[in-house]
Amino acid sequence: MTTVEIGQALKRSEDFRLLTGKGKYVDDISLDGEARAVILRSPHAHARIVEIDRAAAAALDGVHLIVTGQDWLAEGFGPIPTRSAVNKNKDGSPLSEPPRHCLAIDRVRYVGEAVALIVADSEKIARDALELIDVTYEELPAVTDPRKALADGAPRIWDDIPNNLCVDFELGDEAATKAAFEAADHVISLDVENNRVTGVPIEPRGLVGTYDAETDTYLLYNSTQNVHAIRKTIAEDIFKISADKIHHIAPDVGGGFGAKNSVYPEPALVLYAAKQLQRPVKWIAERSESFLADTHGRNQSSKVQLALDSDGTFRALRTDTVGDIGAYCWTIGPFTPTGGSARTQGGPYAFETMYYSSRAVFTNTMPMDPYRGAGRPEGTYQIERIVEAAASQLGLDPVALRRKNLIPAEKLPMKSPMGLDIDSGNFPEVFERTLALSDRDGYSERVAASKAAGRARGFAIAPYLECTGGGPKEFAGIQFAADGTITLSVGSQGTGTGHETAMPQILSAKLGLPVEKIRYRQGDTDATPLGGGHGGSRCLEVGGGAVVRATEAVIDKAKAIAAHLLNSQADDISFADGQFSDAKTNQSTPMEEVVRASFETGRLPQDMEPGCLDSDAIFERGIISCPNGCHAAEVEVDPETGAVAVANYWIVDDFGTIINPLLADGQVMGGVAQGIGQALYEDAVYDEDTGQLLAGSLMDYALPRADLIPNMVIRYYEDAPTAKNPLGVKGAGEAGCCPAPPVIVNAILNALKPYGVTDLSMPVTSEKVWQAIHDAKP
Amino acid sequence: MPTISLTVNGQPVTEEVDAPTLLVKFLREQLKLTGTHVGCDTSQCGACVVHVNGEAVKSCTMLAVQADGAEILTIESLANNGTLHPMQQAFHDKHALQCGFCTPGMVMASIALVRDNPDPSEDDVRQGLEGNLCRCTGYQNIVQAVRAGAKNMRD
Repeated sequence: MTTVEIGQALKRSEDFRLLTGKGKYVDDISLDGEARAVILRSPHAHARIVEIDRAAAAALDGVHLIVTGQDWLAEGFGPIPTRSAVNKNKDGSPLSEPPRHCLAIDRVRYVGEAVALIVADSEKIARDALELIDVTYEELPAVTDPRKALADGAPRIWDDIPNNLCVDFELGDEAATKAAFEAADHVISLDVENNRVTGVPIEPRGLVGTYDAETDTYLLYNSTQNVHAIRKTIAEDIFKISADKIHHIAPDVGGGFGAKNSVYPEPALVLYAAKQLQRPVKWIAERSESFLADTHGRNQSSKVQLALDSDGTFRALRTDTVGDIGAYCWTIGPFTPTGGSARTQGGPYAFETMYYSSRAVFTNTMPMDPYRGAGRPEGTYQIERIVEAAASQLGLDPVALRRKNLIPAEKLPMKSPMGLDIDSGNFPEVFERTLALSDRDGYSERVAASKAAGRARGFAIAPYLECTGGGPKEFAGIQFAADGTITLSVGSQGTGTGHETAMPQILSAKLGLPVEKIRYRQGDTDATPLGGGHGGSRCLEVGGGAVVRATEAVIDKAKAIAAHLLNSQADDISFADGQFSDAKTNQSTPMEEVVRASFETGRLPQDMEPGCLDSDAIFERGIISCPNGCHAAEVEVDPETGAVAVANYWIVDDFGTIINPLLADGQVMGGVAQGIGQALYEDAVYDEDTGQLLAGSLMDYALPRADLIPNMVIRYYEDAPTAKNPLGVKGAGEAGCCPAPPVIVNAILNALKPYGVTDLSMPVTSEKVWQAIHDAKP
Repeated sequence: MPTISLTVNGQPVTEEVDAPTLLVKFLREQLKLTGTHVGCDTSQCGACVVHVNGEAVKSCTMLAVQADGAEILTIESLANNGTLHPMQQAFHDKHALQCGFCTPGMVMASIALVRDNPDPSEDDVRQGLEGNLCRCTGYQNIVQAVRAGAKNMRD
């Protein structure tokens, strides 16, 4: 028997399956009689659909179904509503939410928008049919830049929405901030751009749907992050049926990063086709289709202002953001540039007051939804860039300026001026540990070595504070079987993040039961009565919390059984290290024995039934947690070519209690790699004139490769667990991509200071660096 | 339809294939070897790497008919009665996979890399795996795993 502990670097139980080719991703599921669906997508950024001629396609042998937006409307299906938590303008009026149907009705508003569904006997036939559909479009003027979209006279994406403004938003004290700015010795201003990127999970989205006429129910296999919420929308809002009519399963999911958290049009289309044709229907996205039709993230343009005193003390922060949300509100698109970016403004620094304002704006582009971090990376980039700019402009040491303004440990718990409940942490200690880790003493030698090789070396450090998100409530259920196996079912969901290991690890540690006997179920609407899926770094926080609560319920019942077995009173029984003990009688019995007894009527107390140990629990967090930490990096820039290499990367993260350091490291490394990707390589760029996505394949969108990502040195600060959840965890999934972009960009600016370069925009490509060096030359 | 005869994971296979069928589609859809994955449509991601006559090949870059007479090894061939190949074992030990979608291609590419270079440096591994994209791990643990796997394969 192997019981494991919290904090142990337990290797993953899912690995064997995934390493031997036995993983089961959606495209690995093939059902008898399966038909293939493809989607005809808009080639235009903005156009009226004049006519769709499907005759030639429909006549093709093996084509069974062609569905247009008008067909869809005629079925009476509803639009997909947004779930943005920010849904009101500053004046209290509701946000502008245009109807989003699964297929474009009479107008297309971005390149890649779904225009028609084609289902045929094979993918090849379906694609041939797609080519034969003749759509007559009348092109309309398009706008892809959100700042231009806001201007008077800009093309209107929605006729009834002036200035393409979805919602305006504010948080903080505008008057107090204004007063603090007027009283401050210095005001630093900087325009900060967060470039548009996209998740690019290596497994493209995919679906297999079936319909059972006898029971009038659907089964949907979906490469998704959130089976329950998406099922609810498909059933109740689109089809207007009850949610239990759809059994929704996420099998092995090949990465998500937010891009699989949305309610997309394809699942409802596939289920509809399965019902119409009375046969299974499969749809698998091509990669180019993923670039066009997976949600994008970031794309915020912000004017950031920092007010500070002559001694460097921060007084106030003011940020005004224009946030692109694409052509529709999508699932929670308007939230990211509003509430999502507002909450962690100012990072771990002390401010008297802050004011954040923003506008979420429609453009003729693929809609935006959360991408790893969803607002917090943007906020971290804003504060860290302005702090670096302040140090540079005022001739202050950037390390000393940061040290001076970090919230002191003794000020916690506190509420930030943005209302964020910061309960735990030690930002100065984490900062100093990061500095110590980054070998500042050896820096000048490394600078000299770089210089000797013709390269400029730069350093930056970025403390950060972010927060968790996603659904606040989670379910966990523990079922025991007479053969000793235990089934743990949790409504949160891993997408490669190791939950199949971490959640059983928690159960094993809490109950003293062998981890290899635990089967794990997730991503299945039949496995749990509710579930919040994957997102907002929530899974250990609320999913793990629910597992702890369920184990507590098991222990309560098991104590009664143990008392019965030991001829003791339940009140005298204590439980530790997998043993139930009565200190008075000095007798004990292990949990495994109690589990065995729980299936034998003769060994149970009279009021308990066999199987009685099965326990469910729901944990609901009251307040979101605040992961924080500090990252530092050194870069080398080749001034001849502009090429940037990340030479060193150091990390001290405070995620509260670390459940499994192996898995935590994986989350940090992956998050940092995505942050470096945004900083140096990735750009989901549209052509302004045509509205075409220029970065529409992996040949155009630069995903970081193995030779572009540095080794990272990772440490954890575990002395400040949070009391907001039973495990004391703060969430690890998104933290890495918060500080990585600013620490890289600031390190480059630090390296290029002798060249007179003071600003660069992401992605900092070698071309931009070369140009900046040459532009700055006197 | 042309008929091809080849060896796949040690088993002789004779099949009719539609001429335009890519090797990866043939393996996945006709032979039901779904361990080899498709992650892109431009031969960038490397999730579909298999061994063709001992060489690592992106199986989306060749037609099934071009594999006529070839010896093909896929990820399914590596483990032996539940014992992982030393490279698979190293990926497990070093937490070199998360979602697992790039993993079969990554492992097949790594084995070919080590066969050509039994004791690769970190740079060798990073350069050698340029043709394989991973979005989850940040590569660091993959690089460690390949070097550890190389050692396991030497021992």
